[in-house]
Amino acid sequence: MLLAKIKEALNSLYEDIQETTEAPEAPESEKAAAEAAPEEETAPAPEAQAEEGSPPPAEEAETEKAEEPVPPPGPQETDYKAKGYHLDVDLPPEKVVAAAEILNRENFFIEAITGVDWIDDQQLEVVYDFNHFDELCRVVVRSRLDRSNPEIPTISHIYQGANWHERETHDFFGITFTGHPNLEPLLLPEDADFHPLLKDFKA
Amino acid sequence: MNGLLQQDVNQETFVLNLGPQHPATHGVLRVKLVMDGEYIVEAEPVLGYIHRMHEKMGENRTWAQFLPNCGRMDYLSALSYNHGYVAAVERAAGIEVPERAEYLRVITVELNRISSHLLWFGAFVLDLGGFTPLLYAFDDREQILDLLESVTGSRLTYCYFRFGGVYNDIDDAFITGTRAFIKRLRKRLPMYDALVTKNIILIKRLKDIGPISKDMARRYGATGPVARGSGINFDVRKHEPYSVYSEFDFDIPVYEEGDSMARYMVRMDEMEQSMRIIEQALDKLPEGEIQPKKAIKLVKPEKGDYYHAVEAARGSFGVRIVSDGSNSAYRLKLRSPTYSNLSLFGEASRGMLLPDALALMGSLDLVIPEIDR
Amino acid sequence: MGTQDVQPPIIHFSSLDKILSLGRANSLWPMTFGLACCAIEMMATGASRFDLARFGAEVFRPSPRQCDVMIVAGTISKKMEPAVKTLYDQMPEPKWVIAMGNCAISGGPFVFEGQYGIVEGADKFLPVDIYIPGCPPRPEALIEGILELEEKVTGFRRWPRVEAK
Repeated sequence: MLLAKIKEALNSLYEDIQETTEAPEAPESEKAAAEAAPEEETAPAPEAQAEEGSPPPAEEAETEKAEEPVPPPGPQETDYKAKGYHLDVDLPPEKVVAAAEILNRENFFIEAITGVDWIDDQQLEVVYDFNHFDELCRVVVRSRLDRSNPEIPTISHIYQGANWHERETHDFFGITFTGHPNLEPLLLPEDADFHPLLKDFKA
Repeated sequence: MNGLLQQDVNQETFVLNLGPQHPATHGVLRVKLVMDGEYIVEAEPVLGYIHRMHEKMGENRTWAQFLPNCGRMDYLSALSYNHGYVAAVERAAGIEVPERAEYLRVITVELNRISSHLLWFGAFVLDLGGFTPLLYAFDDREQILDLLESVTGSRLTYCYFRFGGVYNDIDDAFITGTRAFIKRLRKRLPMYDALVTKNIILIKRLKDIGPISKDMARRYGATGPVARGSGINFDVRKHEPYSVYSEFDFDIPVYEEGDSMARYMVRMDEMEQSMRIIEQALDKLPEGEIQPKKAIKLVKPEKGDYYHAVEAARGSFGVRIVSDGSNSAYRLKLRSPTYSNLSLFGEASRGMLLPDALALMGSLDLVIPEIDR
Repeated sequence: MGTQDVQPPIIHFSSLDKILSLGRANSLWPMTFGLACCAIEMMATGASRFDLARFGAEVFRPSPRQCDVMIVAGTISKKMEPAVKTLYDQMPEPKWVIAMGNCAISGGPFVFEGQYGIVEGADKFLPVDIYIPGCPPRPEALIEGILELEEKVTGFRRWPRVEAK
């Protein structure tokens, strides 16, 4: 089965992240300790309301995080009927080229590359859609970038179709694809210096 | 000295601008060509002359207010684009579609596919220099437009689908009209075959021109008749069946050669297959509702991202929705097939004669507003 | 010819002018300037069923040097605007402009708060003579627009007007 094969192959990219799965649990215990501290602080000092505005919501968010099952880092199989794709792969930006090389070896084709502006998290996300001609298997590769300095290596030397997709994503979001042969505006005028699909864009 | 002059002349290249306004009816496409005499050294398409901000409007409009936009992206097969968007939102919001509505969707989408291929056929042969097939093709196309106008209300940019079904039912006049049209087209297609396809001039213009290999199609993400003309057996209707396509018996024409003639034959054969689907759908058409029983007041997909692909006349059209639970999309990505198909023009046209490159461009079946969105 | 300043001729001809304008109206040569969806309806008007050749406007010329009327059919984007102005300037006098479709009249369905890409109407930078509304307008509407232009050129309506009963 292609899905199992590609999941296995992409899992190898996570090996160095999976070794550090012990680390996330330590901050959680720290957060649990921090939950006890704000409870004592909320009792006195109504004049410190402004500061206490932040600990109680953070406390609620942390209890929610502790209750949600944290999925182990690795390619996630998704419900195809509900979502429309089979595999969801969340990677840091420097590993995207290696993922594209693995997918190229298995003869996937590139369907689309796009960006999403998560302004509340101050992050930009790049989403790659891959599909296969012979056996239906949709793989979605994502990567989150810092909004103030969005950079990610290009995959246009592996998949030439990515050339135009990356130019368009640069046009709309301002994401720099390092190593791209010519990152000029594709859909906007040649001298455009604005990025329209950012959430804080004013015409 | 004569020899030196010869050398200089041969090495000189010049830049030719195939400007945004040109007589081939593709739309506003500009191609920067570096030419060596009549041969193309390098070709670079320049886009953006009809960029109409559809993806930004996806965020500014509610889910239902975006429906008119779908028809204006690729106006020749507007119903497929309606279908892609509506199916993606239905998948995201979990809306069920009644069976009669699915059959009506399939019938109208396939009629639209035939009309799109007919217009491509006329315009393509016009590019190559023959004016007459355009008039014949438009005559056939007007019959389809009459049928679709009686059901949907518009001739070109349809907005017929709604979330959960369609908005108007068909009547007996439509069914008899469609059957009569299929009978008529079945007589006309052999005429086109004899007049155009077997014409020695067309064969010489198209055979072995513009080869696209399987690997090139894969690296650029080409789908639709461009991929099927290169031997790749990929059609979203069979590969990833959606709506009620799994209930019909039809073939996917695949040609191995990869030249412009193969892409031409794929589209001519697809018209016949679409007619088969329409006949089977009319025979099996069930009675029932065309909208869900429980009327949908407000469409609010859950938070998350969703993807749906349909087979438009030009390839696999995909819609990626990122929803944040509100009444408009957070991000709406429209993956247009012609965008990926045109991106291989730069590599495929190297070293070709200019008229051959135009034949290649015509065989890719471009509609520029779909590329620029 | 729209709102341009044309110097009045020193010598006025009366019957010759009438004959010339009749000749111009009978053979308006449009420029193929289809930008978007309205272009398909323009092609359909020139094709077999709605035959624009009956009214003399059959010869769609791609070169601006050889045409009288520019039918702006489709949305004008900000990137395309200089090209449209150049083409208009290249046309020889006398010339007319027909704005076909809602996008050419006022931006059409693509006008929204914060839009960054299109010019809201051809009359922002061109002198437009005839406006044909519709999205896209039917071929019959385009024919009526051509007949209105003929009325503007000659001063009288030469074809029967279709009345609603």
